[in-house]
Amino acid sequence: MHCDEVRPIPGAASVDRKLSVALLGNPNSGKSSIFNQLTGLRQKVGNFPGVTVDKKTGYIPVDAHTTIKITDFPGTYSFYPHSEDERIVVSTFSHPGDENYPDAVVYVADVTKLEKHLLLFSQLMDLGLPVVLALNMSDIARKEGLEIDTERLRTQLGVPVLAISGRTGDGIPALKNLLSSWAHSLPVARTSFYQPSPQEKQLIKPIQQLFQGVSDYQALLTAHHYQWLPHLKAKEQEAVEEIVKEHHFQSVRSQVEETMLRYDRFTPIVRQAIRQGSAKRNSMTQKLDAVITHSFAGPIIFFGLMLLVFQAIYAWAAVPMDWIESGFTALSQGIKTILPAGWWTDLLTDGLLAGLGGIMVFIPQIAILFFLISLLEEVGYMARAVFLFDRIMQVFGLNGRSVVALISGGACAIPAIMSTRTIGHWRERLITILVTPLISCSARIPVYTVLIGFVVPPGKVAGIFNLQGLAFMGLYLLGIAGALLSALVFKWILKSREHSFLLLELPEYRLPVMRNIGMTVWEKVKTFAIEAGQVILVIALLLWALASFGPPGQMEAAEAAALKMATEQHLSEHQTKGLVAAERLEASFAGCLGKLIEPAIRPLGFDWKIGIALITSFAAREVFVGTMATIYSLGDVDDEPSVRQRMAQERNPATGELVYTRATSFSLLLFYVFAMMCMSTLAVVKRETKSWKWPIVQFTFMTALAYLSSLVVYQLLK
Amino acid sequence: MVATSVHGKRLTDCARGKSGEVAYFLNDIIAGKLMAMGVLPGSQIALVRQSPLGDSLYVQADNQILALRKAEAACIVMK
Repeated sequence: MHCDEVRPIPGAASVDRKLSVALLGNPNSGKSSIFNQLTGLRQKVGNFPGVTVDKKTGYIPVDAHTTIKITDFPGTYSFYPHSEDERIVVSTFSHPGDENYPDAVVYVADVTKLEKHLLLFSQLMDLGLPVVLALNMSDIARKEGLEIDTERLRTQLGVPVLAISGRTGDGIPALKNLLSSWAHSLPVARTSFYQPSPQEKQLIKPIQQLFQGVSDYQALLTAHHYQWLPHLKAKEQEAVEEIVKEHHFQSVRSQVEETMLRYDRFTPIVRQAIRQGSAKRNSMTQKLDAVITHSFAGPIIFFGLMLLVFQAIYAWAAVPMDWIESGFTALSQGIKTILPAGWWTDLLTDGLLAGLGGIMVFIPQIAILFFLISLLEEVGYMARAVFLFDRIMQVFGLNGRSVVALISGGACAIPAIMSTRTIGHWRERLITILVTPLISCSARIPVYTVLIGFVVPPGKVAGIFNLQGLAFMGLYLLGIAGALLSALVFKWILKSREHSFLLLELPEYRLPVMRNIGMTVWEKVKTFAIEAGQVILVIALLLWALASFGPPGQMEAAEAAALKMATEQHLSEHQTKGLVAAERLEASFAGCLGKLIEPAIRPLGFDWKIGIALITSFAAREVFVGTMATIYSLGDVDDEPSVRQRMAQERNPATGELVYTRATSFSLLLFYVFAMMCMSTLAVVKRETKSWKWPIVQFTFMTALAYLSSLVVYQLLK
Repeated sequence: MVATSVHGKRLTDCARGKSGEVAYFLNDIIAGKLMAMGVLPGSQIALVRQSPLGDSLYVQADNQILALRKAEAACIVMK
């Protein structure tokens, strides 16, 4: 009967049909590049294992009533997982009831290394899903003189085989056509690939009785992975455990034997279908790596590159950041002149626009950093950096990949934390995320500039080194030391069931595909602006409200008193404005909060005014200078020299002593080195760790570290 | 293929740059992971260089390049 050839697609009876297709393949198969080609959606292409952390979905419209949904799965070597990423793949594909279980699969393989890429493919064939084998990098294969007999592969493997290229787009239309035809009538998958051993067969039968509709191989996978498969209920887990124990099933042993048998079967097929060319392979990569991964030259090149990245973020981002800042200032002043004065105009300008500006101003840094980092990834450099630094980072519970994040953190912790997605090991990634904000970022620079003069006098050591410059460097080193030591502590506290491996594939150096880089940058910037932005906006509005409103009548009273004082002292209009702002702030909820926390920060040498600056700084450190300007009633002036001058004159009204003594200033500096004072970072950490737990942990430990070090320094110096 | 006693040279004991054939692996977990990455008994493998602190090894295995930790490479026994 011909009807056996096709099976109805779920939902085919209704008007709208949707074929759900999974994109699967090994790391470095160029799978994400194919995803970009198929859907045109933003996705990252990996020259670097473990890039695709989140589930990415795209759509291909077929006709008015039919669409193909494509889900990009993390790159995986086999159904025997070694990381959380790979576990996602196994838990989906071993469970036909999973919400992401597809109707069909596009399997992407690097044709230049076809043998090893066919292992997962052969496992996939045993699930009973229709599969198409997409031979990627066919353009490179042609250059290397590989001859591929796709027809032979098709008949031997029993699935459609297409030569494609994510780089040039060759073969993509053919793949789309095939998927479109599948959207109308899905072929029935052919027979299985692997013949289970007699012992495995004994397990498969009873497990299939437990789970209706699973294939032989899915039953076997359940026997291998029952301990962690998330869809198993406790009862089912026990039942499987009983079966496994009864047959003395040794999972690792059986896995190795199964893998060998699979290779034994498909290796001859590959050898017959692919003829190696005469062209010498990856000789370019060999030559480059002789220098780039050299044990002496390698680290020098790495630090040179990082210096360039750091420099680029500082130098190139400064100009667009100025535009954005002045743009928002101009816009907000424009609105203030057009709209009548009132609390809602203030809300619009000082709350909403200031908050938005605070988000937008980070975009140039994020875009530049991600451009450079994905460029390094695309060409294949990142895997080399991992190779060079894996050992040193391991000491601190981190991963070779953490180096990149820590150095990016010198510009801004936000893109740095987003870049940790390249770390496959969850604990190593988490520790990297937790300690990265301890690296002094660019937002701390204005704070350091204002305070450092109170601690270290100007002058030179040994005639060359600027004392204040050395102190500056000392603060950076303090941040690095803080990050590495905290990492050590977290390494000791956090336990992980994941075995830490290096076992990393170093891909060949390739020219970057700019489209992929463009998509990465666009995706990061968009994600940051929308998701982190929502949180930042709420916090900015909250802060505005705290500083603009006070207990009933208090602020009006403060303003009246200030105006009276101004008239008595014959202050200029400008000075009056400043005085009013300062008095209003003191009477506001923010002022009340400053006074409220004063007892807690007194031992650190801080008064309530510094308290307000601390509170506002918890939204973003760079607010410090502006807040100081407001508190010390400098009116609209908020440049660093004038703030510094005013602070130097500040005296304690009770004792008449200077407020910014060496002890207080030192203590305040240390507080800014260690404290978690950046709402944007916390928002990003929440997003990346998918829970509030870790940002709370991070906030707590960093603030505790800041408090304790400030306390010790102040009590020693005062 | 996988054994508990060593009959042969481990990859970590091999001279640098000298290619040899993989005989078997000493650890089943590492074996599983290496085989999934295409390193099998019979693969041509050569230790090319070490990382700065010496713990990571740059290895040429058939037509691909891998980075292995020393402990991982010590599980590979050569013919």
